[in-house]
Parts: sequence; C-alpha cells; structure tokens
Amino acid sequence: MAVVAWTPFVLYAAAASAYFVHFGRRDRAAGRLATALLGSGVLAHTFLIGMQTVAAGHAPLVGTTAALSAFVWLLGLVYLYVELTTDERAMGLFVSVLLTALAVLPALHPGVEPRPPLLRSPLFTVHVAAILFAYASFALACVLGITYVLLFKEIKRKHLGYFYARLPSLQTLDAMNGRAVTIGWLFLTLGVVIGGIWATQIDSSPDPRAQAMSVGDPKIMIALVCWGMYTFALFARRAIGWSGRRAAWLSALAFVIVLLNFLPVGYFLTRSHNF
Amino acid sequence: MRLYAVGISHRTAPVDLRECVDFARGGVDAALEALASRGLGRELVVLSTCNRAEIYAVTDAAAPADAFGRFMSEYHGVALEAIAPHLFAHAGADAARHLFRVAAGLDSLVVGEPQILGQVKEAFAAASDRKYTGALTNRLFHAAFGVGKRVRTETGLGEGAVSVSYAAISLARKIFGDLRGLNVLVLGAGEMAKLTAVHLRAQHVRQLTIASRTLASAEALVARVGGRAAPWSTLANLLTEADIVVTATGAGEPVLTRARVEEAMRPRRSRPLFVIDIGVPRDVEPSAGNLDQVFLYNIDDLQAIVSENLARRSAELQRAEAIVQEELTRFAAWMQSRGIIPTVVALRQRFEAIRQSELARLEPKLAGLPPEARARVNEITHLLVEKLLLTPTEQLKTVSDEAMAVAYADALNRLFALGGDGPAEPAAAARGRGEKVPS
Repeated sequence: MAVVAWTPFVLYAAAASAYFVHFGRRDRAAGRLATALLGSGVLAHTFLIGMQTVAAGHAPLVGTTAALSAFVWLLGLVYLYVELTTDERAMGLFVSVLLTALAVLPALHPGVEPRPPLLRSPLFTVHVAAILFAYASFALACVLGITYVLLFKEIKRKHLGYFYARLPSLQTLDAMNGRAVTIGWLFLTLGVVIGGIWATQIDSSPDPRAQAMSVGDPKIMIALVCWGMYTFALFARRAIGWSGRRAAWLSALAFVIVLLNFLPVGYFLTRSHNF
Repeated sequence: MRLYAVGISHRTAPVDLRECVDFARGGVDAALEALASRGLGRELVVLSTCNRAEIYAVTDAAAPADAFGRFMSEYHGVALEAIAPHLFAHAGADAARHLFRVAAGLDSLVVGEPQILGQVKEAFAAASDRKYTGALTNRLFHAAFGVGKRVRTETGLGEGAVSVSYAAISLARKIFGDLRGLNVLVLGAGEMAKLTAVHLRAQHVRQLTIASRTLASAEALVARVGGRAAPWSTLANLLTEADIVVTATGAGEPVLTRARVEEAMRPRRSRPLFVIDIGVPRDVEPSAGNLDQVFLYNIDDLQAIVSENLARRSAELQRAEAIVQEELTRFAAWMQSRGIIPTVVALRQRFEAIRQSELARLEPKLAGLPPEARARVNEITHLLVEKLLLTPTEQLKTVSDEAMAVAYADALNRLFALGGDGPAEPAAAARGRGEKVPS
C-alpha cells in the first residue's frame, strides 16, 4: 500500500521538475514529458482513490487528509483539462508545485478513516465533492492571478524579461481567471447549499459534531467568508469592472483564505468538521 | 560531380543589383528549366528572396562559378562584369555550410528572422516538384531544414522584436492577446503616424481611427492607409473607445495629459489602454503611465527593448553556429562516404569476382578432392581476399578531404578498371595465384 500511496506524489514531483525545465528553458519536449508525467500522476491517483473506495466501501472523503487527497486529484484533473483544451503549459509549473506540496500529507497517511454513521448520506458526498471541485477551480484562479500580476509588473515597469517570454497575454490570463472564479463559485454555492440542507437533516443526531454545525464554527464561518469574497469578485468583475490586476489580487488572496480554512482550521480548530 | 552554391546576397551585392537578378520575377520554374537546358546541373535548386538569388547545384561543369555567373548574366540580361565581382561560390561542404547558415537565419539581414526557413523550404519544394532534385540535394536540404528547426527551438536567435514597430506590436499582443478585435487610435498625420498605422492595419485590427488637429490631414492619411478620420474635438470619446493609442503629433507640448487619460479611463473600467508615444518631443505626459491599466511606452522605451533583444540575439549566435557546425560535420561525413563508398564496394566486388572465376576455372582439378578439402579451399581463398582488402578499405574510409577522396576513387577506378564495361580479363594475375592454391 505504501508504494501505491506514494506513487502519485512521486509522479507529481517528477511532473513539477519537468515543468520547471520546460518553463526555464522553454523546451517543448520537456513540456510534453511534463504533461505525460502529470497525466500518469492523476491516473495513479485515480487508481489509489479507486482502491481506497473498494477497500472501505465508500468514497474516501472522510477526514481532512482524505479530502486533501481528493482535492489534489481534482486539481490535477481540472488543470489537465485546461491545458489540453488551451494548449497552454505555462501554468503547469505553478500548479504541479502546489500539487506536489499538498500531496505529501495524503501520502503519509494513506489509510481510509472509517465512516461514522453521521456521514452515511449521499448529501455528504455531494457536499464534499462540490466544495473540493470549487477549491480546485479557485486554486487555478489563484495561479492565474499570480502569473497575471507577475506579467503585469514586467510590462508596466518596461522591463520585459523572464515572464514576458513565457506567459500568455494578460488578456488570456484575465479571461481564464474570470472563468475559473465563476466555475468555482457555482460549485462552492452548490456545496454550501447542500451542506446546509444536510445539516438540518442531522440536527437530531447525538453526535457532538452535528451539534456544532452552526455558523459560529470556524470552518463554516470562514467558508462563508470565502463564499462572500468570491461573490464579491464575481460581482466586481461584472458590475464595476474589477478585472485585470484587482481581480488577480483578489483571487490570489481569497485562495489563501480557502487554504487556511482547508488545512489549519480543518485540522485543529473546527469542532463541526473534524472527522 | 560536385555540390556548388553560387549566387549573390545582401552580403555581397547592393540592392539595385539584387533587384536585377531576382529569379522570382520570371518564376523559379523558368530559371530551373533554363539552367537544366544548359546542362548546368544534374540536381538544381534556386533560392530567390528579396535578399538573395542563389543556385544550389550538383554539377560536372568545369569552373562552375564562371558558368553560373555567365548564366545569371545572360538570363537576366545584365553585363557579366556587373555581376561577377558580387558573386559568391562555395563548393562541397562549404556550400552546405552556406545553406545551413541561410536556413538558420544566420546569413539574414536581420539575424534570426524566421521567414527564411519557409523560403528555403519553398525553393526546395519548387525544384523537387519538377524533379530537379536528387539524392544529394534531398539530403542537403532536409539537413538544412533540420538546422533551421534546431536553431529556432534550441536557441533564442529568433526571439524578441528587433524593430520599433514590431516591438510595439508584440507588446500589444502580450497585453491583449489577439489584436483583431481592437480599436486603434492614431493621433497625428505625419510620416511616423503613417508608418505605424500601416503596421497596425496589417494586424487586422477592428477599427483604425486617425485624428489630427486639422481634419483634412487626417483624411489625407486615411485615403492612403485606410481606416476612418475623426475630428480632434471628439478626442475624449475616441480615447475611451480605443484599446491602443499611437501618438505622433509633433506638437510642442503633451497632447495627452495625465488628467485627460485618467478621465478617459474612468468609463473604461479595467479595460487596459496601451499608449505608444512615438512623438518627439513626447506627446504623452509620462505620469499618465502610472495610472492603473495604462501601459505607456515611448520611442526610447521601445528602442531600449529593441537593443536588448539585439544584444540577446547576438549572445545566441555562438550557439546557433555550433548547431550549424554539428550538423555540417554529420552531413560532410555522409557526403564523403558517399563519394568513396561506391568505389570500395566496386573494389570488393571485383576481388570477389576474380576469386569466383578462379575457383570455377580450377573446378576440374578440385573435383577429385573430398568435400571438406573443397570447403577449406573456398574458405582460404575467401580469407585471403578479405585480408588483402582489409587495410585498403579501412584507409579509404578515413579519407576526410573530399578532393582527396575523389582522387583516390579515380585512381582505384583506373588501376582496377572498376568503372569500365565488364571485368577486365584478370587471367595473368589469376594464373600466377592459381598455382598456389593449396590442395
């Protein structure tokens, strides 16, 4: 099991190195290799999650580590889709580094948590899957935002160099960022609404965690803050023309909060989501 | 039969002469036909661009430089004395090196420009379609395409804009992606404004608007380059609509102040504005560049980008030349082996034929021997031939000088009558050896 658990991480790391060479030297062959490695990583990860599902009899979404693993898998999948449809590999380095970093924890703890009775609802699976998909979209938006700012600064300072030669146009980065935020917002909304419905269903459960399901819980509160930020980002882009640099900063900042909510809050602070 | 590259290029001839000997005018096909009909080459490729008129030929012609010079003079009706001093001629590996450098963009007026590789491919395709190419030119040109591709992908030779207008366009592309949906506003109606308008128009922008303080001069420019003229009084609206603004008014003081640009930006929300100020003195207040989503570049900024790119390109020159050298070594080795190898093969065939004919001649004497002994005879004669040929074969394969290889091949052909019709009667030699055949 240990070997299978580490395989996605190793492949993500290999893909990150290949993307690094591709980005640094603009070597097309390295780029193709990177895509192939990332594809194999996602495939190995699919296999791992499939094995865990078969072994446990349910989707491995219980607990922050398992959710992290599913998030990494989804981000890999979403990014591959974007790369293959746009034929643009410049973002690969940033995404694969993020994937590699986040894949460490799941690789260290590959076991599947038993599913407490509380979570035996299809609503739970949809809730977690929708939110993780939203997070994957936001991660992509964050990477796009960061690269937008890097390129923006080079052009503004009239010092055309490293990123100028490697990144697509500001317009492309901005449009992709907008799309990623929109898709992420839709899934986050879906996930939050379903989570709310589910919370009312388990209201009578004796589980202390069910009792802690309230807006006062840090995890739920910060998730709603995130929803508010992305709602604002969408609104600002459409209604008051906050595209470009402002939208880029906003999506980068919002994702930092998403990540904080996902990891430290998920592991240490929440009393409602500590499965 | 040897490979030659003869012609003139921007390095050897002034533009008025290059115009006179342009093969493209009468069609490359006609030039190929004319060359072939004069028996000037078994394999021919004509490369004709605005910067060069070159003939690549595999020919037996004596003094090919003169022959091709005369051809160019007659074909184009230009005096030989006018052409001859500007003609270059390369033979063998030097011709290959020349083509490789041309294909890589190393011989171009603007080093590293990418069009030349396509032109070389077209030249080859034109010759190949009409069956003027052969084994040598096929190999040569495909090797040249490989060099061009490697230089493009492995070095930064072709990267970065090296003219001010191209630098501006590549910046616009980096900001907006596709230029096709964009509105371009040109302020001013002078020569600089015209040049830029023409360049931008070539990018298929959506709308080109020209505004000048006097509407009549804007209209005059529109008549020459297209687009629409707009009165100066609508400037505020024009600025709001525009994605790219080019200023070249020649006015004494800035026509676009920071306040004016700021005002124009407000209704645009975050839509970026790219301002190219090519006016001297400057037309745009520099502080306008500090506004969010405004990218302001003046002529000096663009010039600085161009010089930086030029410097970067020359740093890549060495790497590109190394690739040319590497591919040339490979090609030259192939060309040399091609020269000597048929001779080596013919020599071996000749020796083997002698052995076989001697064995056949001795057949009556050998018939009485037991099968093992006959096999030994066969084996020993075979080994003998192999041993005799071992050193010469090895020596021939190491001949690196092309001319020397040809000389060797000639000598061997003559000594062993390799090129002649049918094997010369080797009876005397065979008799001498025949007696030594062991029993």
